[in-house]
Amino acid sequence: MSQNFMGSGSGRALASVLLLSCLAAWAQDKPADQAAADQAAQKVAASICSSCHGPTGASVSPLFPRLAGQQEQYLVAQLKAFKGKTRSEKDAHDYMWGMATLLEDSVIEGLARYYAAQKPAPGIPGDPALMARGKLLFEKGDPERQVTACSACHGEAAEGNSIFPRLAGQHAPYVVRQLDVIQRKFRESPIMHGVIRELNPAEMKAVAEYVQSR
Amino acid sequence: MTKVNSLTVKRRRTMIQSARQVGMRWAFSFGAALMLLGAGSAQAVPAYARQTGQNCVACHVSFPELTPYGRWFKLSGYTIGQRQTLPVAMMAQLGRSQIKNNDDGTGSNTLVTARDQMAALNGASLFLAGKVNDNIGGFVQWTYSQNYNTDGTSSGHSGIDNTDLRIVGRMTSEDANEVKLLYGLTVHNNPTVQDVWNSTPAFGFPFTASPTAVLPTAGTVIEGGLAQQGAGVGIYGFYDKTWYAELSNYRTADGAFSVLRAGQDINTPGGVARLNGNNPYIRLAYNREWGANSLMLGAFGMRVDRYVDNTDTSSGTDRFTDQGVDAQYQYIGNPHTFTTQLRYIHETQDYRSSFAQGATSNASDSLNSLQFKATYYYEHQYGITLSHFSTSGSADPLLYPAAAVTGSALGRPDSSGNILELDYLPMQNMRLMLQYTAYDKFNGGSGVGYDGTTLRRPSDNNTLFLNLWVSF
Repeated sequence: MSQNFMGSGSGRALASVLLLSCLAAWAQDKPADQAAADQAAQKVAASICSSCHGPTGASVSPLFPRLAGQQEQYLVAQLKAFKGKTRSEKDAHDYMWGMATLLEDSVIEGLARYYAAQKPAPGIPGDPALMARGKLLFEKGDPERQVTACSACHGEAAEGNSIFPRLAGQHAPYVVRQLDVIQRKFRESPIMHGVIRELNPAEMKAVAEYVQSR
Repeated sequence: MTKVNSLTVKRRRTMIQSARQVGMRWAFSFGAALMLLGAGSAQAVPAYARQTGQNCVACHVSFPELTPYGRWFKLSGYTIGQRQTLPVAMMAQLGRSQIKNNDDGTGSNTLVTARDQMAALNGASLFLAGKVNDNIGGFVQWTYSQNYNTDGTSSGHSGIDNTDLRIVGRMTSEDANEVKLLYGLTVHNNPTVQDVWNSTPAFGFPFTASPTAVLPTAGTVIEGGLAQQGAGVGIYGFYDKTWYAELSNYRTADGAFSVLRAGQDINTPGGVARLNGNNPYIRLAYNREWGANSLMLGAFGMRVDRYVDNTDTSSGTDRFTDQGVDAQYQYIGNPHTFTTQLRYIHETQDYRSSFAQGATSNASDSLNSLQFKATYYYEHQYGITLSHFSTSGSADPLLYPAAAVTGSALGRPDSSGNILELDYLPMQNMRLMLQYTAYDKFNGGSGVGYDGTTLRRPSDNNTLFLNLWVSF
């Protein structure tokens, strides 16, 4: 019976070397690809995204969300949702569909890494009474009305977690607008639909004022 | 029939140019417009919207007024987005005007405008607009317009309209996180058409006006006096989104640049202005953006040497020196948007040739122009605008002679009034507007007989203008 090449000791050694070489080459290529994507993403961020979202994602206009320090997974999900037109509230349609369509997935991931790595802009304090009311809702929710505490998913400091976005320092008018479109199901968010079903406009404003101050 | 002297014709064209500057000059019938109404916004987005994939509100408060992003888009040479295979767009307007007193007062039952209280088709524009690559872009507008004569006849005409072509460059910050300096070269055919703030004349208020209205005679050169008539080449820089500086130069659009006045009348006296040599324009502006607010404080100046007779270069030139200051404030929120613009221009008119030829009463005159407007929009859909305008200057009976309706009893250029405009945008690329212009002073007079020939009052020229404006 002839010996199988792979069955021989020297053959196994050679195969192992080849396999390791391939893995090493792949491991080297991946950072190279990622570095290229990151470079392309930073160029897009500086020349285009910053027009509305500000340099490093620290936007000044409440029309446009702050992106600095945002969760990477959340950003990838949102950009892909814009690109796939599955996030379809009016602002998404008016501003982001076209922009996201132009982005390759590798650049989307690069943008997400870029913004996630930026230093978040400091919070903007608002009306103390409103912030106090918002703090209560954010930390405790309203169990009697089945309003879950925001902090359960968005973190104690509203820093976000994975697909749950960072809310700290976000523009209050933007947060209110998102809560509104999610509640009215213009923006799909299965988890949030249930959580904020009972939230009224005054409560939205309060919780937005609080997270903006963080 | 109303007598219209060449200056009036020129002034009328000058004023109407604010309409042309935004591409208005219309041309489609109500039927076509109604078809558009039913066409849906997906099919009705102009070239830049198709290029960026964004809706009109990204760049416009309401067209043509620009948002901060719209200004950045324009200064970036219209290069954001994806190049289109067919970068074209169209624009059309259809309106109906009503002047308060359509009898010219000469006792011969002659109408001021034969097109009063009738639908008027003023033209249609075709745009070639978009990016060539990440550093080159622009737009060329070609307009067909319908000119309505006082005897009820009309004639069609087509020619080039506003044009702006750019080559741009960017310098990023050391950390590469932002564009620190956006700079470029612009080639265009209308002073201030290249500007990005709506306080300068080309894209200033009123964005469109009745094509048949009677308009004041006097206006500064920079306020449309050279629109689509010269070739402008300029360089500009926008640093840190704070400081803007531009230096442009205008010359007669001859030779390779003649395309910039294609279709315009260069052979008739009073037609397209002929400039002598280089005519510089300078612009400085301070810009600040915070929260939902943006503010601009600026100044601009221009010096123009214009031949007295545009068909005869031996006729000598007059020199016009315009100095202007302007300001703009915008609050762009959701659902509330408020914007306001202010502009003041002082023009020195050195009639070095016209005076010698007996065409003016003085060797030099001056003219001051003030424009103010404030706009409120709710959800980018329902708008109200209030505007005040005022022109004043030296008395010059030869320059501002008496004539029925369009003349001046006192030989003065002074006119002032207010505009109220209501807007409704059922879709972002469609505007239905009702505009009322009321005069309290017209061609130097504020009472009966301002024109020096009839018993006409300034308020007799008040005009109600209903207009449908679409782009697609």
